[in-house]
Amino acid sequence: MSASSAFNDEKGGSSSVAEPEYGHDPASGGIFSSDYKRHDDLKEMLDSNKDSLKLEAMKRIVAMIARGKNASDLFPAVVKNVACKNIEVKKLVYVYLVRYAEEQQDLALLSISTFQRGLKDPNQLIRASALRVLSSIRVTIIVPIMMLAIKEAASDMSPYVRKTAAHAIPKLYSLDPEQKDQLIEVIEKLLADKTTLVAGSVVMAFEEVCPERIDLIHKNYRKLCNLLIDVEEWGQVVIINMLTRYARTQFLNPNMNESLLEEGNSGEKTFYGSDEDEDEDEEEKEKKAEAAAMAKRKPYVMDPDHRLLLRNTKPLLQSRNAAVVMAVAQLYFHLAPKAEVGVIAKALVRLLRSHSEVQYVVLQNVATMTIKRRGMFEPYLKSFYIRSTDPTQIKILKLEVLTNLANETNISTILREFQTYIKSMDKDFVAATIQAIGRCATNIGEVRDTCLNGLVQLLSNRDELVVAESVVVIKKLLQMQPEKHSDIIKHMAKLTDNIQVPMARASILWLIGEYCEHVPKIAPDVLRKMAKSFTNEEDIVKLQIINLAAKLYLTNSKQTKLLTQYVLNLAKYDQNYDIRDRARFIRQLIVPTEKSGALSKYAKKLFLALKPAPVLESPFKDRDHFQLGSLSHLLNAKAGGYQELPDWPEAAPDPSVRNVEVPEWTKCSSREKRKEKKVEKPFYSDSEGESGPTESADSESDSASGSESGSGSEESGSGSESEESEEGSESEEEEEDEEEKDKKKKKKELKKPVQETESLLLPLFRLQTISPSSALKNYELLHRITGEGLSVEYCFSRQPFSPDANMVAVQMHFTNNATSDTKNLHMEDVKLQSGMRVKEFPEIELLPAGETTTAVMGIDFCDSTQAANFQLCTHTRKFFVSIQPPVGELMRPFFMTENEFRKEQGQLMGMNEITEKLTLDAKCRNEHAIVQRVTTAANLSRVPCGSDKEFAGRTVTSSSLVLVTVATKEEGAAQLTVNCEKMVIGTMLVKDILLALTQ
Amino acid sequence: MISQIFILSSKGDHLIYKDFRGEAGSDVVSIFYEKVMTLTGDQPPVVMSHKDLQFIHVRQGGLYWVATTTADSSPFTIIEFLNRLAALVKDYCGSLSEKMVQMNFALIYELLDEVVDYGYIQTTSSDVLKNFIQTEAVSSRPFSLFDISNVGLFGAETQQSIVAPSSAATRPIQSSREQGGKSEIFVDVIERMTIVIGSNGMLMKADVEGEITVKCYMPNCTEMRIGLNEEFSIGKSQLRGYGAAVRVDECSFHQAVRLDEFDSHRILRLCPSQGEQTVMQYQLSDDLPSAPPFRLFPTIERDSGGRLLMYLKLRCDLPPKSCLLLKCVMYVTPVASVFSLSQELSSPDQSAELKPQSRAVVWKVPRFTGGTQLSALFKLDVPGLSSASMQEVGPVGLSFELPKYTATGLQIRFLRLSPVQPGPSQRWVRYVTHSDSYTIRI
Repeated sequence: MSASSAFNDEKGGSSSVAEPEYGHDPASGGIFSSDYKRHDDLKEMLDSNKDSLKLEAMKRIVAMIARGKNASDLFPAVVKNVACKNIEVKKLVYVYLVRYAEEQQDLALLSISTFQRGLKDPNQLIRASALRVLSSIRVTIIVPIMMLAIKEAASDMSPYVRKTAAHAIPKLYSLDPEQKDQLIEVIEKLLADKTTLVAGSVVMAFEEVCPERIDLIHKNYRKLCNLLIDVEEWGQVVIINMLTRYARTQFLNPNMNESLLEEGNSGEKTFYGSDEDEDEDEEEKEKKAEAAAMAKRKPYVMDPDHRLLLRNTKPLLQSRNAAVVMAVAQLYFHLAPKAEVGVIAKALVRLLRSHSEVQYVVLQNVATMTIKRRGMFEPYLKSFYIRSTDPTQIKILKLEVLTNLANETNISTILREFQTYIKSMDKDFVAATIQAIGRCATNIGEVRDTCLNGLVQLLSNRDELVVAESVVVIKKLLQMQPEKHSDIIKHMAKLTDNIQVPMARASILWLIGEYCEHVPKIAPDVLRKMAKSFTNEEDIVKLQIINLAAKLYLTNSKQTKLLTQYVLNLAKYDQNYDIRDRARFIRQLIVPTEKSGALSKYAKKLFLALKPAPVLESPFKDRDHFQLGSLSHLLNAKAGGYQELPDWPEAAPDPSVRNVEVPEWTKCSSREKRKEKKVEKPFYSDSEGESGPTESADSESDSASGSESGSGSEESGSGSESEESEEGSESEEEEEDEEEKDKKKKKKELKKPVQETESLLLPLFRLQTISPSSALKNYELLHRITGEGLSVEYCFSRQPFSPDANMVAVQMHFTNNATSDTKNLHMEDVKLQSGMRVKEFPEIELLPAGETTTAVMGIDFCDSTQAANFQLCTHTRKFFVSIQPPVGELMRPFFMTENEFRKEQGQLMGMNEITEKLTLDAKCRNEHAIVQRVTTAANLSRVPCGSDKEFAGRTVTSSSLVLVTVATKEEGAAQLTVNCEKMVIGTMLVKDILLALTQ
Repeated sequence: MISQIFILSSKGDHLIYKDFRGEAGSDVVSIFYEKVMTLTGDQPPVVMSHKDLQFIHVRQGGLYWVATTTADSSPFTIIEFLNRLAALVKDYCGSLSEKMVQMNFALIYELLDEVVDYGYIQTTSSDVLKNFIQTEAVSSRPFSLFDISNVGLFGAETQQSIVAPSSAATRPIQSSREQGGKSEIFVDVIERMTIVIGSNGMLMKADVEGEITVKCYMPNCTEMRIGLNEEFSIGKSQLRGYGAAVRVDECSFHQAVRLDEFDSHRILRLCPSQGEQTVMQYQLSDDLPSAPPFRLFPTIERDSGGRLLMYLKLRCDLPPKSCLLLKCVMYVTPVASVFSLSQELSSPDQSAELKPQSRAVVWKVPRFTGGTQLSALFKLDVPGLSSASMQEVGPVGLSFELPKYTATGLQIRFLRLSPVQPGPSQRWVRYVTHSDSYTIRI
């Protein structure tokens, strides 16, 4: 009864939530005096059949947890509801379980089976959330279950579940570090994942579980670089930080050739001017670098992978997430060649417009950067001007930056700006400004006197703090050249009457004592005044009075002997032991007695030795040994788990580790050679590709390989052969890097440099959509009736046939329509014309009834359309079949520019040129349709930017050029021109294309 | 990696506490508050350490949003995350305040649970979170049409937290699915001006930061097109259209904005997700299209009785009818200790007072029409006034807000939604320019 009345009360409380006079929430305990009662009521609600009551109870329980109240005694009642159908209730039960499972292990185990069921749910969201909660239950007994669940989820179809699996890894690791090896296996697997969703999460797991296993990254490096731009922003931060570390261990220092002397100056010159200039500089530099690399004189050449990282991160400077921008900025600062670091300045300055907390952290990093690379931020000087609304911390940091940026040219502007800051009401800021003026004065000799005069004027300021701070700074400045400024010292001596700030008084006294010879008349008088007020002074002032007395005693003992004695006597009975000790020590040192030792002879030397002037330097001076953007840098102390940025290696580790595994037959012997080539051309697409911020490395290397093969084939026949095979292997490799859904499509596309070059201007991931949409034409090899249930179709897949570049790849689709299995499918008795060769497909051991399989064979047709005849054998039958290629399949696309095309065309005139007039089919009068039909008919590539529709290719065996031009006129009239050394091929090609265009 | 997250009220009440990794006890909350309280100065440092635990916090909506970490994780990540979290809570609860948080403990805890997993940030996109968050927000007061009367009225303070749109736009995104028909969209063009005018009247620095924010309460809005002025140009080189150029130096867009029509027609296309988002941010430095809106002509002298006379003439250079200044607060900084102030102002609704702690004279002008001029004479009793101290007067700071005015001239030509919304839908476009820091040196 009491429980139900409590319940009513409670309802009243919760329904009042929407009332304006709402004071405290029902769960806060204000309504109920005893916890017991409240929980009783919650239990009842949880046990009820109504979802609404359960939900209400769960909300209140979660609210209790949220505020840090203990709700653990409700565990049994809550855990019962884990299988609740209502998703809202279920969700909140999960939240509760994650919080309390560790404390109530036995009861938590009751819920495990629900999650295990959830892991099998068809809904990916439920699978993921079950895994997430399961992995959050920190109970050691279920480690094997968790391990199993993670492993399974790592190969789940849904990338969202795989992502959750990646998140679960660090949880399991912290619960049971002994699972590390198994977990690393899972990480390795997930690192190879090609979806952007997973990439960020798995790198987080990698960083927590096994950051030392840098070798796991090698194979995924290029993929990560390429995916980066599409990864979710928090993942980007983690990946960029990890790649920074990786790059530091794998690449050479890009600045290693520049001598240390240049360090300060080179930056300044490069970074004036706007972005365009920078880009030009960059280009110029790259051109130079390229030239140098060609000549193979300059020892440093940037690894193309290093360049890839820099290029792919640069667009992220535009991110709206400050963390991403900073991550890229630190990457550039730590990894980029000096001339390129400038690009980050603008992005960082932009961050200064965001929340003050972000500003604070950005300014800390900028302050460090300005010490090393001053030139970078000079164009943005004005952005660091202080606004009256800035909080003090930010004002002080901006001052720091302005001081670091000051040089001979801008100092007058900066000083004028400082002058207005002194009027500010913020005392800390004013003090910092005065110190900043002092630092400018020490750093820049030209303005030292101006600054000093300005500071002396401040001595008459009404604000004591301003005066005091000025005194301290003047003291430091005077130490640099005291003899010139005795009038300033005199002026300051007068100030002792007015200034009360101890530090300032002490500074004045020290100055007078130090330079008492410059002010011989005033000094004893100051001492007299001070002796009078000695007992009322602060400790630091007292110490300086003793100091002054001692120095005067040594230089002018006649006038000051008594005064000194008096001061020392006062000090002898001071409350502070330090002052008493000092007085005793000085008396022994300067007053000659019979007992005094050898030291008193040197008293003058001791006291009046020439003191080195203090160096006013930035507090950020040695911060740069911490990685920028890290917490340690901000704190200027090592934070837990800080991983030091490794130094550049002396010699670059083997770059080939980043090459992705290729199928065994293409592990060509000339890998080293290829590598070398790639290095020679690292800037190939850079120089033209600056416009497209996201152009990928793939397109770079592809276009590079395209031109390679071009140059290669101009050499002798044997030479071109090896070139071709290299190219084949390279495109194989590159595609491994890529996220791809349809391998065949992709391969075909890689062989179509037309699209490739277009893709330079497009983001990486649109590559897939621009691959030719035309389906490959299928030909029948064996009809299912003649084949007694076995039907075979083939098509020319237009992908390179890797084992032999001179062969045309033929893809065969075997379908077993019969009711029984077909075994041992293979080829026999190949009958060929002379010169032709065949590479048979590997034997298919079993093709079960109703199944389909594919195999690839290669045929060298010797640039003729003669058929290849062979027998297709099964375990029971033999079928005679033949493959005859359309002429369009005897060639492969060849990439050339319009000019090259014209030049080559000029050389293939006369007999080698065939021209045909035609009327285009009504449906194919637009450019797109023409291109599509021609490329379907023949395996050619379009010449980019050509005025007419021009296509180029080479025959597969002899690499003869095949050039096709379609010139369109009004009303569908057109002229087709084919230039080809092989007249037979030319004639046949004209026929085929004619057919394609007119039907 | 984030170890714990907690939200504290400005008085130190524990509102939300969530521990992700179990690395530190819950007593850190009080440790943090003690640290904040013992510090003097206007703002505690962003990062504070206690043993090997680091506190990183931001302040939003009068609350402390704190994350602790034991590892070296990027402070940017955490700060950015806390800001995003605050924005998310604001989206889900409608507004940010202690009361709002108290009413939505369960919702915020659930949000935290989804957003951070074991200290790792999973996602902060409200579109993704929509799939997971089940709890409905409780808002203090049902949304009523009366609030719309306030549309366009903004708080006068210049702090960012107060620049939030007025109450019409402060309702939780999720409740919109219950309330059904009220589909509304708010598009705000907010600009902040930073101007420094030298003592000779020269413009020394001018800087405008602007943003277009969209707050969307349309459950089924698939696409929205915002048309900007045709003359809008970015950078110095290009000039477009025939009218006066509307130029900005830099411009960045939310990632969801599609720009295919931007180059040709200056149209932003986006699919707004529920809640508030900044669609576009832009900056303009130094080269304002028009003269700064306010000029000051000060005369400062000493009268025979040893008093400091400040005669100030303030002129508003905005076109007469288009602008209506709501509030103008002026801080004139005089010399150190001022005993008394007497004033002569040009109209009775103005007021002026002396703030001894900040040593400032504050002149409040509630209404100021474009093209007019105001004047004021302040007489200050300053003991021991010398000619040197005359130098110490100033600068004058102005804070104001100008509704229906943008300093860059950016305008929204049209706002189209597709598919055409069924039922009544309202589209609001508002412009306002704030002073971020408007300083006139004397």
